[in-house]
Amino acid sequence: MSQAVVSVNAGILLPVLAPALGAAVVLVTDVAVQHLRRVHYVIALTSLVVGAVATFAGLGVVAGAARRTLCLPAGGQCMYVADSVASTLQLAALLAAALTLLLSWPDDKKQSPGSTAVIMSMVLTATAGATAVAGAHDVGSWLVALELATLPTVALVALRGARSAISGAIALLTAALVSFALLALSAALWFTATGSGFLTPAAALVGFHDPVRRPILVLAVVVLIAGIGFKLSLVPFHAWTPEAYDGAPLPIAAFLAGVSKIAAAAALLVVIQAIAPLGEPPLAAMAIVAAVSMTLGNIMALRQDGVVRLLAWSTVAQAGWVVLPLAAVSSAAVHASGAYLLAYVLATLLAFAVVAALVQIRGAARARDLTEYRGLLSAHPVLASALGLALLSLAGLPPGVLGLVAKVAALRPVVTSELWVLAIVAAVNAVLGVAVYLRWLLKVISSPDTTEQASPPAVPDGAALVAVQAIRAHPATLVAVGLTAVALVLTSLSPTMLLGMLGR
Amino acid sequence: MILLLALVIPAVTGTALILYGRVFRPSAEGNANTLSLVASVATAGFVTAAVITRPVLDQPWLPSLGVRMHFSVDGISAPLLILTAALSIAVVLNARSRPPHGGSSSMFYGCLQLVELGALATFLARDAVIFYLSFEVVLIPMWVLISRYGDSHDLAARADASGRFVLYTVLGSTLMLIGILALVQASGTANLDALAAAHGAGLARHTQIIIAALLLVGMGIKIPVFPLHTWLPPAHTIAPTAGSVMLAAVLLKMGTYGVVRLVIAPLPIGFGALAPAFAVVGVVGIVWGGLACLVENDLKRLIAYSSVAHMGFVVLGLSSGTTAGLQAALFANIAHGVVSALLFFLVGGLKERWGSADLATARAALREVSPRLGLALVVGFAASLGLPGLVGFWGEFLAMYSAWNPAPDRPQTLMRVLVVVAVLGAGVAAAYSLRVLRLIWSGDRTTPAHEDARGGEWSVLAVLVAAVLVLGVAPGLVLNSTSKDVAAITMEVSR
Repeated sequence: MSQAVVSVNAGILLPVLAPALGAAVVLVTDVAVQHLRRVHYVIALTSLVVGAVATFAGLGVVAGAARRTLCLPAGGQCMYVADSVASTLQLAALLAAALTLLLSWPDDKKQSPGSTAVIMSMVLTATAGATAVAGAHDVGSWLVALELATLPTVALVALRGARSAISGAIALLTAALVSFALLALSAALWFTATGSGFLTPAAALVGFHDPVRRPILVLAVVVLIAGIGFKLSLVPFHAWTPEAYDGAPLPIAAFLAGVSKIAAAAALLVVIQAIAPLGEPPLAAMAIVAAVSMTLGNIMALRQDGVVRLLAWSTVAQAGWVVLPLAAVSSAAVHASGAYLLAYVLATLLAFAVVAALVQIRGAARARDLTEYRGLLSAHPVLASALGLALLSLAGLPPGVLGLVAKVAALRPVVTSELWVLAIVAAVNAVLGVAVYLRWLLKVISSPDTTEQASPPAVPDGAALVAVQAIRAHPATLVAVGLTAVALVLTSLSPTMLLGMLGR
Repeated sequence: MILLLALVIPAVTGTALILYGRVFRPSAEGNANTLSLVASVATAGFVTAAVITRPVLDQPWLPSLGVRMHFSVDGISAPLLILTAALSIAVVLNARSRPPHGGSSSMFYGCLQLVELGALATFLARDAVIFYLSFEVVLIPMWVLISRYGDSHDLAARADASGRFVLYTVLGSTLMLIGILALVQASGTANLDALAAAHGAGLARHTQIIIAALLLVGMGIKIPVFPLHTWLPPAHTIAPTAGSVMLAAVLLKMGTYGVVRLVIAPLPIGFGALAPAFAVVGVVGIVWGGLACLVENDLKRLIAYSSVAHMGFVVLGLSSGTTAGLQAALFANIAHGVVSALLFFLVGGLKERWGSADLATARAALREVSPRLGLALVVGFAASLGLPGLVGFWGEFLAMYSAWNPAPDRPQTLMRVLVVVAVLGAGVAAAYSLRVLRLIWSGDRTTPAHEDARGGEWSVLAVLVAAVLVLGVAPGLVLNSTSKDVAAITMEVSR
């Protein structure tokens, strides 16, 4: 152990280092000059963009050409491996975090000045955790990075101070603690089964071929699914989700639905990639969790009258779709899961961005109430079109081609492994999902007046319309809506732009 | 290039009409109608050119999933493409006389363009996954047409009808997707031509049966076959005229076309095993639809049920496993497209004139007050009951003929029993057709008077009446187009 110096390549680590350094810079700046607000946002955005640019080198590379660093000198084992899937998820996490910042861009009137630096540093820290876990290939840093991605979100939810925010934060904290306990247990089991601290196929094979240690390895994976299940809000570990989303400020809810989900899925994919070469029989636990999550998530989403709660339950159902392909343990399944995750994050963030814009225009009470979306197409055609695209992508129907392609990709490994029952359950849930999102969309496209006269819908309340539109959304929010909508349109026209990043 | 233009024109026009709907509003109806008429005519031109020159477009689209943008035309899809393009012009023309109600007209025409895009892409697709994607394109526009522009007398019924339509269809298409993915996985290619050429070689019997069952249930919802048809009558009753026409004449055909392309051609053994059951539900549909028509008092709903019956004949022909049966099914497909389009244009117009489509209310006899509508109605229902010399005759007659002498691996006795039952169903069709004619065409009441068809409406009706007569007299126009490719599927020597 005398020569055990770990190699460090800062360039490869930049997607992790940039947000982490950004967090430090924000805190230092806050100590030096107080009551700054925009400066913190600029620093944070810059660090996220730098990190995002740094991931480009890892996009779309073939499996063998992953970027490695933090390698041990002798065996060549590396603690940080950024293959194309990891790089893509890092990029997604960084961009999703940047989008969250745009949604919460400071208004001149609201928000107490002191908290800006705290919020920025916590957003950046959680993002650094998310990017780190995607590349982590040893149990220790994997576990720490995953917790780093989780714990700041508890504070972010609680910061608003309202009663609902506190109860949401407590629900999230409880889930985070239970999840950490399970993951720590799973890490210990992994070490016992494989004798290795690395999450690699080689380590997994050791445990798999020893008949005594094999059950321990299986147990490690099952406990791990439970632990990740809390973070991905898979049923039956989902109970915190609606509370936390509804209690949190809207941008933070978007952060939970975006960056936090990416972090959890990335952590899961790291482990699945390690066990994929085992040729393991399909993971029954994953199949059950996926099926139940989709079904319960969709059914509960159908019953919601609040937009944010509907989106919260929809993320439960969508998380089921994300892990659906993983029931068939294979490298193709990992790609499929990544593809579905990207499509889900893009569409969900667009939906959140539109809701955020409407909160600024119409006030929180109206923007969060589903019945108030009636006639949105006449009142705000651009926002309504963006929302429609997001909802159709989530439902997986053209013109949301990206969502449809993601559905095809997610179903493929299931069919390949001939898991017919799971495939049928997924088909039924595709229908339920369509019902969920079209229920919202029907309100958006219907005429504003309930009597349904043949006259053009916008004319009668033209005066009210002017009054409503006098309050405009913040430009940063509109930029966020625009960027996400353009990204969704482009990737729908050519889904290979997104799928190509994941490599083959 | 021709193919690309045939798809890009409706796509761009449709999207533009929907997104920039507010720009067109000042001068309202006219602009949007003219624009989509021009687009439909241009599309029809390119589709015709494609049918004549038979170009191929083959580009990689999603390399990581092995999906290719592969489009081409063959004898089986050519008649359906022409039908789709022609009816897309017809619905726009008809809407000139009978403009849409319930929302901005540009949204209405935009949705029609997107429906046309999806239908054309479905019939052109030569890649199984692209076929599925195209299949889904029509869903949302059609849902908007029904939920926004449909009959607004009963809003709850409208929401129910549009919801049922979209949910049933999504279930069907997702099951179909699972079947497609399994088929692609098992046979190693998504190319429909390669799949058809392989005739299921290398696929085990039980694999073929599982995949065929998934695909048949999925597309059975779309066709629709008997127990899965319950979405169709409400959707037709509520939908605006243009929606009903596209739904009956084009969208239903996507199901039967899919059965030919994705089940019969690539999975002959699997389909052979399931064909008897498929034929049984088809014939049950014939009788069930006919009986429902005998007592149904809503004219639009009646025609919807008659669609179920007519598609039953198509199913019977498909199940026979012979070249003649497949030919009959494809011909009956086109025939039903023409006849149902005619009837829905007619009934949609009547419903607007009458204010409802209730048969129990006493109306002026069409023969007396509106002879043009009356003529079209008589021709439409005569074709619907399968009168020789009209378009409806050949498909149904040939379907029963081929089912009487089915392929050697089909149970002959069962098929013959089914033919006898289908003949009874055809008798019921005569009864309900004459019932409708007696109720609204004959008689001497002249009040309350209503105007006859004129302008766009009359020209559309006249062309469709002509098509019913021409295809009835010269069925070879369609049969010759399909014969070569059908023979390749059934591997029989072309006769």
